[in-house]
Amino acid sequence: MSHAISTLAPLHGLRVDLSRGIATAEESSADVARAYLGGRGLGACIALRERLYEVEPLAPENLLIFAPGPLTGTDAPASGRHSVTARSPLTGTLFDGNSGGSFGVALRGLGIDYLVVAGACETPSCLVIGGDAGGEGAAGGARGTAAGARGAAVGEVLAAPDGVQVALLPAGELWGMEVPTALARLRDAHPGAEASVIGPAGERGVLFASIVNNRGRSIGRGGLGAVMGAKRLKAVVVADHGRHRPVVADPDRLSFVAYEAEKLLKANPITSQALPEFGTAVLVNVLNQAGVLPTRNFRASQFEHAAAISGESLRRDFLQRRAACRGCGIGCARRTSTGDASGEGPEYESIWALGAACGVGDLKAIVEANYACNRAGLDTITMGSTIACAMEMTEEGVLPDGPRFGDAAAVIALCAATARREGLGDELAEGSARFAARLGRPELSMSVKSLELPAYDPRGMTGQGLGFATSNRGGCHLRANMLNPEILGVPKMIDRFATLGKAGLLINLQNLNAALDSLSLCKFTGFALKEDYYARLLSAVWGETVEPQELLRVGERIWNAERLFNLAAGFTRAADTLPRRLLEEPVPAGPAAGRVVDLEPMLAEYYLARGWDTDGRPRAGKLDRLSLSSAAVTAGLTAGEAGPTRSSSAPVPSAAAHGPGAAA
Amino acid sequence: MTSAVLEQFQRVGRDLFVAGLISSHGGNMSVRQGDRILITRRGSMLAHLEERDVVDIGLEENDANVALASTEIVVHRAIYAATSALAVVHTHPPYAIAQSLVKDEIVPMDSEGSYLLHKVPVVAAQLTAGSSEVAELLPQWLKEYDLVMLRGHGPFAIGHLLEEAYQLTSVLEMTCRILTISEGMGGEVKEYRKGSERYGSW
Repeated sequence: MSHAISTLAPLHGLRVDLSRGIATAEESSADVARAYLGGRGLGACIALRERLYEVEPLAPENLLIFAPGPLTGTDAPASGRHSVTARSPLTGTLFDGNSGGSFGVALRGLGIDYLVVAGACETPSCLVIGGDAGGEGAAGGARGTAAGARGAAVGEVLAAPDGVQVALLPAGELWGMEVPTALARLRDAHPGAEASVIGPAGERGVLFASIVNNRGRSIGRGGLGAVMGAKRLKAVVVADHGRHRPVVADPDRLSFVAYEAEKLLKANPITSQALPEFGTAVLVNVLNQAGVLPTRNFRASQFEHAAAISGESLRRDFLQRRAACRGCGIGCARRTSTGDASGEGPEYESIWALGAACGVGDLKAIVEANYACNRAGLDTITMGSTIACAMEMTEEGVLPDGPRFGDAAAVIALCAATARREGLGDELAEGSARFAARLGRPELSMSVKSLELPAYDPRGMTGQGLGFATSNRGGCHLRANMLNPEILGVPKMIDRFATLGKAGLLINLQNLNAALDSLSLCKFTGFALKEDYYARLLSAVWGETVEPQELLRVGERIWNAERLFNLAAGFTRAADTLPRRLLEEPVPAGPAAGRVVDLEPMLAEYYLARGWDTDGRPRAGKLDRLSLSSAAVTAGLTAGEAGPTRSSSAPVPSAAAHGPGAAA
Repeated sequence: MTSAVLEQFQRVGRDLFVAGLISSHGGNMSVRQGDRILITRRGSMLAHLEERDVVDIGLEENDANVALASTEIVVHRAIYAATSALAVVHTHPPYAIAQSLVKDEIVPMDSEGSYLLHKVPVVAAQLTAGSSEVAELLPQWLKEYDLVMLRGHGPFAIGHLLEEAYQLTSVLEMTCRILTISEGMGGEVKEYRKGSERYGSW
């Protein structure tokens, strides 16, 4: 690296205050860039610094932070990604979603490393960045209507920080439109631009509404679409991108490392055959055979109709063509058609949630339900799991005349009703945790920290259970998917039923994924690559040596920053748990028959390995080594020897402070 | 220690000996569990490990078990302190040691070695067994490479699992056997890999 000039520099931010109609340029220091990279890490840093744990998630004070990473838009494999971060209305935790597509690439194309959206519009609006942002009709649905967004009439440019025009325009008739229609309208108004929108679900405050971009990829989980809807922001459009290419310090070196990485991706049957050929739905049969495919709200872990809803069936009966995010050679996305309609997906998790979880074995109905969610802008996992919860309520006699397991038509209808908040759908729109609690059966919500679990029964893969319980954003497989070592043998096969000895492996995966989400790279590369490849890619881009261990340390810092946020938001050790069913009800049949998750000893081992106290609070020494001590103080958490304790009298440093210690 | 962990030690230890990567009482290995290390007993035969041959000792602080632990405990501790490794395997493979006597880095010619290793740095120390010199030197290299060769002594390999570190060790020895054989044959090496001239900079 000695011959390359470093490109590690302060991050250029754009902050748009929707309430005041102001756009300003801002900066985060190079120290922050080195400590948090970008993407998810930068989002956590800003959220902690600006004390989002004190705001109501749907209040104007919540922020939406869009952030690509230092590898976004470079020639690193599968690097066309970005994160969106906010406090989640579904979980109350810090929450980030990571999406493919080209939205993040477009932001970087304008020289913007992150976008902070604050406040809320008085009336539905669209934010247009770059190009002739304020041109008449630029919002795509507001031609000729000057009334609308506060502080900005049609054609008015809020500001042009660093020469980038920013306009806030009335959404007009875009408001109320389904996702594909809105995106098509924006495409016509802004040829070549990238856009992220919400659908009717986000507009109506469904707590698991998603944000969808024009490449068909979503910020799916946690209800960040509802945060956008509460801001009355229909779309963010990034126009006229491509003026800036991300600066790479050593392009030749990047090309060499990327070539070596692609060699491994092509040699690995998961990334070169399974995912391209069948999509993520390849997992349906694999997990069903292993007895970890949750069925009928986790009452069983094998589904009798698994073959009918498998990746093989999807390819045979519905696949139109494969698709890939920018810069990705894997190509796991699907474009499908039922004959009556066509659209994106479904992915494995969607097939499971709208299928096996609800006892539905009709793949056509699942595909249609998935389309309905995509049109409305709904997270398919929470949608399906919440319907499954309602179905069990019906079976238990708690919900008279409710939907029953196996009723495919009811699933499709409830997706639409939830997006419109009509009838039972209005109750389901709150997610399964609130719904089940309201009906007096909270244990029937298969969620952690109010986020519905994904498609893996941890009773047959205990490390996954520990991962779900300790996930900072709630029940989620994307923080660290123990599917890899427990089922797929990546990097090596381990005993999936064993209780102890998995904490270290899980922690390394959690830290690595936090770094990947911040770079920002697709986690699927992790089927073939290890951290040394990611470090070498970043080293080439920055022109500075980044050791693999530094990358993992960055991930650890991000994980602990997220933990501090959640502690400050009031989460305690009690939230690191699993639904009672998984702890107490043995799997009835199949390869995992008789198993439950013995969580307590695993948690104890995990906290110890994390350097946390027995209540799951980072110890002072750990925070110090991660340069997070002052962040703990800012959060009102006094970092004592026994770990941080909430203190109302703690001094609060200036929110303007920069640097990893202030993140900070 | 759970039976599953002991089984991992036994399986890998047996294979290390059978594959000729250690002598009867050579080599050592460990796993990290939180703030503890499970490490093979000093003088144990890795091909015949029993429960008493795996010693539980503090990650940072000594206790009485240090009297039983492997000679290389100081190096294992230093590696865990500097890296995110969860497993360390140290062996004495003959071809790798021979290559380390004549080279400053080992660059594989074979396909498997090229994919998995690219390059193995060779580092030298005057005191090669259980020394603070090695404990200081080696972890710095292991921050960047999962396998590093100590000249005249043998490789230290790290991973998240014992099996990972074992695999790297096994691949290194195979690579070095191929290098030794092909170099001894004389003649021109027919390059078949794009970009291999850059492996030295990996």
